[in-house]
Amino acid sequence: MASTPHIAVLGGGSTGAGIARDLAMRGLDVTLLEQGNLTHGTTGRMHGLLHSGGRYAVSDQASATECIEENRVLRDIASHCVEMTGGLFVKRPEDSEAYFEAKLQGCADCGIPAEVVSGEEARAMEPHLAKDVDKAISVPDGAVDPFRLVVANAASAQEHGARIETHSKVTDLLVEDGEIVGVEVEHASGPGKRVHGTEGGTEEIRADYVVNATGAWAGRIGDMADLDIAVRPSKGVMTIMNIRQVDTVINRCKPKGDADIIVPHETTAILGTTDEEVEDPEDYPEEQWEVDMMIDTLSELVPMLQEARTIRSFWGVRPLYEPPDVGSTDPTDITRDFFLLDHEDRDGMPGMTSIVGGKFTTYRMMGEQISDHVCGKFGIDATCRTAAEPLPGSEDFSVLRDYMDEFGLRSPIGRRSVERLGSRADEVLQTDRPNPTVCECEGVTRAEVQDAITQSGSDLNAVRIRTRATMGNCQGGICSHRLANELHREYDQHVVRQAWDELLQERWKGQRHALWGEQLSQAALNYSLHATTQNRDHDPADGDPVDFAAFDDGVDHTGGSGGADVAADGGRHGD
Amino acid sequence: MSDAEESPTFEPAAPNTGDEFEPVDVFPDSDDFDLRPGADSCYKCSTCDTNCPVAEVDDDFPGPKFQGPEQWRLKQTDDDYTVDDSIMSCSNCMRCDNACPSGVPLSQMHNTARGEYVSEQMDTLSVEYVRNRILANYRTSAFLASKVPRLANVAMNFGPARWLMEKTLGVTRERDFPEFATQTFREWWADRGGADASRRNARERRERRGEPTDGEKKVAYFHGCYSNYNTPEVGKAMVRVYEHFGYEVVAPEQRCSGTPMFANGMLADARRHAEVNVSSMSDLVEEGYDAVASCTSCSMALRQEYPELFDIDGIEEVAANTFEALEYLRINEDLTGAVREAEVSGDLAREFAYHAPCHARNQGLDRQAVELFRDLEGAGIEDVGESCSGISGTYGWKEEKYEKSMEIGEEMFEHMAHAEGEVGMTECPTCAMQMEHGSGYEIRHPLELLEAALVE
Repeated sequence: MASTPHIAVLGGGSTGAGIARDLAMRGLDVTLLEQGNLTHGTTGRMHGLLHSGGRYAVSDQASATECIEENRVLRDIASHCVEMTGGLFVKRPEDSEAYFEAKLQGCADCGIPAEVVSGEEARAMEPHLAKDVDKAISVPDGAVDPFRLVVANAASAQEHGARIETHSKVTDLLVEDGEIVGVEVEHASGPGKRVHGTEGGTEEIRADYVVNATGAWAGRIGDMADLDIAVRPSKGVMTIMNIRQVDTVINRCKPKGDADIIVPHETTAILGTTDEEVEDPEDYPEEQWEVDMMIDTLSELVPMLQEARTIRSFWGVRPLYEPPDVGSTDPTDITRDFFLLDHEDRDGMPGMTSIVGGKFTTYRMMGEQISDHVCGKFGIDATCRTAAEPLPGSEDFSVLRDYMDEFGLRSPIGRRSVERLGSRADEVLQTDRPNPTVCECEGVTRAEVQDAITQSGSDLNAVRIRTRATMGNCQGGICSHRLANELHREYDQHVVRQAWDELLQERWKGQRHALWGEQLSQAALNYSLHATTQNRDHDPADGDPVDFAAFDDGVDHTGGSGGADVAADGGRHGD
Repeated sequence: MSDAEESPTFEPAAPNTGDEFEPVDVFPDSDDFDLRPGADSCYKCSTCDTNCPVAEVDDDFPGPKFQGPEQWRLKQTDDDYTVDDSIMSCSNCMRCDNACPSGVPLSQMHNTARGEYVSEQMDTLSVEYVRNRILANYRTSAFLASKVPRLANVAMNFGPARWLMEKTLGVTRERDFPEFATQTFREWWADRGGADASRRNARERRERRGEPTDGEKKVAYFHGCYSNYNTPEVGKAMVRVYEHFGYEVVAPEQRCSGTPMFANGMLADARRHAEVNVSSMSDLVEEGYDAVASCTSCSMALRQEYPELFDIDGIEEVAANTFEALEYLRINEDLTGAVREAEVSGDLAREFAYHAPCHARNQGLDRQAVELFRDLEGAGIEDVGESCSGISGTYGWKEEKYEKSMEIGEEMFEHMAHAEGEVGMTECPTCAMQMEHGSGYEIRHPLELLEAALVE
């Protein structure tokens, strides 16, 4: 082969990032294109369960077997993204005994370590479980942070030479002589890291091969070359609780149903979910009854959820796919397996393969298979190394450190920071500069925020998914402006303001579905703070440039006031 | 979804006063509570931080919001999740409880975290641990000293000894140790004839007051350590005032309320003492007695900290039936009327500079002495403001905290100097030490003034 093939991977979710890493590690030239931030689509909108396979052990044993294999791989290569919480399949008195037995047998069949625990033992593990829970099956479920995982995959891909473009929407597939030869991309703010206000533009990216890993958006990409990819997007709601009511993944041991899982996720617990087919992955109703129903149903397992504080809810769309001849009517019946659609074999259009269906836990395996497929096209015989080589951040590290001695951080903040950063902790947290806590709810310090900014430009939502800043109980009420402030010096006022506005909008979006009780109090306080100290209930100050020289710039070191002869309230000194 | 289709009935949510917060008893046979759910009530307004007297003077102290809801929320139940050592700088004044508009169980979070820190992370051979243990177990020292009170009074304030104590144990030599009484309250009580004598006195009084002699007016007195060993005059005043209103007083077996132990994270010690107190008080409560304390920190411990921290048989009943001495009379008797008709003369016919202890404040008692005595002929009372005295029990006795303790107390000292009176008054023994230390005034207890006014 004359030159290294260039592969355009579309979609910056777990699948796309996993494929990009794999191909880049095998030495191919890779460009990853994502229309929003990494994890913008379904990956950023899931409950973060690292499947043991237990959920599929009765209905879909092939998937279950894949899950337990990949579960073991991810614990190893992505240790800083994974928390091995363990999981329980909980049986209530009214749930079927036969199904409980089938689940246990299914786990055995698929090689999933499973053990029956009595109701009492289950409550000793999880004191907030309902008193009348009969018994449970314990399995190696875990929790995984999808943001961190995708960011680490993209970072690894980048280390291996890949080009990562976020906020770059594919607007067309380039077709020449009946073959897909590249894509047309609309950059929101120019290529490279996102900086608000940078002029965007269109770019034609020619590629030797295109991989369409856009999940629920795969059909749209297909349409650009008249390919029919019948993805059946199905929405599911997830609700985030302020604290962890459980430290183990709690599944309801029932054949299928809505609202049957609670995943402890970082400082929170995520309730999931529903399954309802929608037409458009970007435009579907988000309804309050879905949230209410979920809290009610899951309260049967953990009664305190009924009264507990919810901080936000969000909806994700599963990119379900089934071959057109199956014809399931209920989306819960659609397989969670994934499909490689080689458009040359399928539609007579060479140059692109789409990957559809599948699930988060097996993203790496999907990446491996499609990378094999792509390498096959170019006759490249390179082995996959993604199952053995740890992700950046997951090299050997220990969370047991003397946080105050080593980083000058109070222990819970140091602990959280090291858990998030993994083996990158020393590089990021050891700083000679002052390192105050920026986000108090999640214990995120300036050093970690600055590290994220160097990775992602002026985009504060990208900082958010890297650090968890603004993801705690005040939802950015107390720290958004501090985060915005961290952009300053490198970025000027109007860039900072846009980034800040965008972050606040994103934070409000999910809180709309949590406005009762304590979170309503929180929202009211946030509103008051933002209105009274940031002028957010008035005209935004981003119209005419603000004449900062008109303000007093404080007392200089000689003791006199510096700058203009005006007081901060606009009056003259001495008024 | 259109909101207009929804039913128009508006049901405002009840304000969160924290009453409904009940931590789950995680392990039935231990006192480990999962306090993470308490963080649900926090919306980060920081009112607790702005009311924290320690945060105001100690820049290294991160404040109650961090110590409480933030730390608990960040914490996981894994054993290797440590508690930040700054918890040891909290003085346990509990003002954050009172400040919080949303019912976050702050002091419970601090007490629990501190207990965990001390038992899991602190070196039990360290000077700090030994010093704290000694300070927290004041009752033990007081018990020993009371055997030889005169000797103890000399020895404990002997300069070189105090220098040594500061250097080796970190107990400040700036303060004078309180004097031990030559006769403890309990010795006096026994000499006087104990409960039998009190029953006789009470019946006699009831007869004279025209009340039924077989009436059920009986209280169990929780005198605490200080009234017993150091200021028996307060205990005596309590007994005489209560008998004056026809109450039979008993003084059941009791140990330290636990207040200094909570503040030092010595929860195992506190529990041991609490078990004795709860056991003797719950038997009496069952018989119809109410528990009455003359120290506001003791009543606070029995009412709030016990049920928050321990699971002991009968603890809820004891908590629900515990009162502070003035409070109880104000509820059950026409105390205001009695004081209005009384006149005080002699030693206590003075102007008093009154300081409300933080723990009194938390029980809603911060105005009771002022409201009561402002109508008393012959004496005057003036509130010296709402600041913390700064000593917070053992906090101000620690060498490394002494300066901060005095800085916190500065506002109170200043107000005392401006007040008309030159005698101080407060319900709390350690506030009294601080008031005396900062102003040089003699400090009296409201019960003493009440006794002087009402009991002939």
